[in-house]
Amino acid sequence: MSDEWGVALERTIQNNTPRLDRILTDYPFIPNHAEKLRQVKLDVLDHLDDYVRATCESVERSGGTPHLAKDRDEAQGIVREICGNDGIVLFSKTNVALELGLRESLAADGHEVWETDLGEFLIQLARDHPSHIVQPALHLTKEMAGRLLHDKLDASITENSSYEELVACVRAFLFRKYVAAKVGITGANAVAADTGSVVLVENEGNIRMDTVVPSIHVAVTGIDKIVPTLDDAFLEAQVQSAYAGLYPPTYINVTSGPSSTADIESKKVTPATGPKEFHLVLVDNGRRKAQEDPQLKDALLCIRCGRCYFSCPVYWALGSEWVPPPYGGPMGAMWSAIVNDDTRPATLCTHSGGCKVVCPIKIDIPRVLEHVKWLNSKK
Amino acid sequence: MDYTKTQQQLSLVRRVVFKELLEGYMPLPVDRAACARWAKDLPRSGETIIYTSYMYQLGSVFKSYAKLLERFSGVRFASRFASLGGLVVKPKKDELERAALILGNIVSLLRRSYPQLAYLYEDEPYSGALLLELGFLDEFQAYGKKVFGFLRERGVRRVITVDPHTTNALLRLKNLLSDDLDVVNYLQLVHPANGGGRFVMHDSCLYSRYLGIGSEIRGILRDSGVSLVEDRMVTAQDTSTCCGAPLESVSEELSERIARARAAKLASVCEDVLVACPLCYQNLSPYVQSVHDIAEVVS
Repeated sequence: MSDEWGVALERTIQNNTPRLDRILTDYPFIPNHAEKLRQVKLDVLDHLDDYVRATCESVERSGGTPHLAKDRDEAQGIVREICGNDGIVLFSKTNVALELGLRESLAADGHEVWETDLGEFLIQLARDHPSHIVQPALHLTKEMAGRLLHDKLDASITENSSYEELVACVRAFLFRKYVAAKVGITGANAVAADTGSVVLVENEGNIRMDTVVPSIHVAVTGIDKIVPTLDDAFLEAQVQSAYAGLYPPTYINVTSGPSSTADIESKKVTPATGPKEFHLVLVDNGRRKAQEDPQLKDALLCIRCGRCYFSCPVYWALGSEWVPPPYGGPMGAMWSAIVNDDTRPATLCTHSGGCKVVCPIKIDIPRVLEHVKWLNSKK
Repeated sequence: MDYTKTQQQLSLVRRVVFKELLEGYMPLPVDRAACARWAKDLPRSGETIIYTSYMYQLGSVFKSYAKLLERFSGVRFASRFASLGGLVVKPKKDELERAALILGNIVSLLRRSYPQLAYLYEDEPYSGALLLELGFLDEFQAYGKKVFGFLRERGVRRVITVDPHTTNALLRLKNLLSDDLDVVNYLQLVHPANGGGRFVMHDSCLYSRYLGIGSEIRGILRDSGVSLVEDRMVTAQDTSTCCGAPLESVSEELSERIARARAAKLASVCEDVLVACPLCYQNLSPYVQSVHDIAEVVS
């Protein structure tokens, strides 16, 4: 990796670690939330079929359309059919969409496709790969971002532009896309089985736009993101944002079906102001197989806070070169085995063990990676 | 990342190390008598043994294991290469001398509590830690059964280990084989003694984040008169990191990159580094001004 990578990573860790220390001091209930979350997620994994069925039934009850995709091809087919043949499609940094290659497949169909998370947008412009699951453009310094925007978006931006000028430039561009977009595609931090609600955490406001302005909202996520109740989904939103170092999050979005109103005689009518369609695409893509493997199963508890990345010397040394995207770092070395059947990244685990210490869900990542190394040795 | 080379290297190490272990209890042919010469007055048998697994005597050899295989094979990663033949690796004289001081000191720290402490000398088998750490779990268990069987035959009931890799390997083996052999690390047994100096502690990953004895070790050091300089971003359990040594057999280049980065972090806290593991010593030595083992500063 480049010297700029070292600078960007060091700055991020120096900012992030004290911030998390403060969050855990100011909000001491967070670790208890994390422990409870581990328990409810274990319960879901032990009864996965029941929870998938309950989630689909709940989505239907709320007026949405549930879909099940067993692999990348099925997921692409479902989303392509929903999106039709043309129009603007917006993405809100969904790692599952990256896992499935949705952006590329929709672009190939003729859609104008844009990422709306600032970091992911920069990555898209640069035709690059995300270097961190929460902060995909972690490897870009301010100067690099300025040069990129100058070349690709706005000639008035330079490497000397302020942070605020960089953000405003992207904001102005994306606003034109929001009002014209046909479909908004999000992931999910959690999906509540009892209500069929999708819960999403964010700070930028782009997810709020993606889920409300286009006439169709598609949430694409793994079956591992199901939790029993909406209460549990809020738990996951809080724990994920806290351990990402961003607590309280600026926004927690809840979507339960398409937009609706009951303002006239309490008669529920769909759509109202927001989307007329809501689709939830639940993706397997290796997750069921992992759930059946007692050693790999723990990896499915991951809440994608990205904490383990910062504790790992292999990630420091290799960045996004270590694990093929979208997943990276120690969690990516586990998830690469699950979704890509690629066990090789685990062989570079030096069992530093920081990942295990910092994981809020207490996933014994080194032990999982020991198992993945063993799987690698059997090939 | 180009995984072609790392996969080939792993395949080579796997074939050779397992074969050598099954044949001779060592991952490579080595002058075991020279490695055991540090001990002179310990009984050759007993229920409680000090178990070195040759880590202090052969730290530099283990660090460069893959490179050694490559050199001995004569053919870079040749697929048919699966033996070291009649070659014998000579331990380095200065490394043996340093190991003698460290191991002798550990024995003196233990002797107060274990006057009958025994040592298996040149019969001591290697633990198999390399197999475990590279993920060769089938081979690790197969060889581990042999090691535990050997120890039982020699009447051993309690094994006192002196390094983190061996401790972790034997504890994992106990867990995998459901064996009741008593395994304990010397740092969990010794009491504060005489020590001195001012250092930044580079924790062994296995002691700190796997066995959870990082605080105990700090306590012993402080109570022995050793001054430790701490830094939240460098030496805490959740911010300190590996020296890269376990990756030597997979990617020497990556291992060294990690070692340089860790050394720079440590040097930003204090120029004198304290370690508790012979492999950490090997990997960090080229990049820090001074590095000492715990058993060199507490006696």
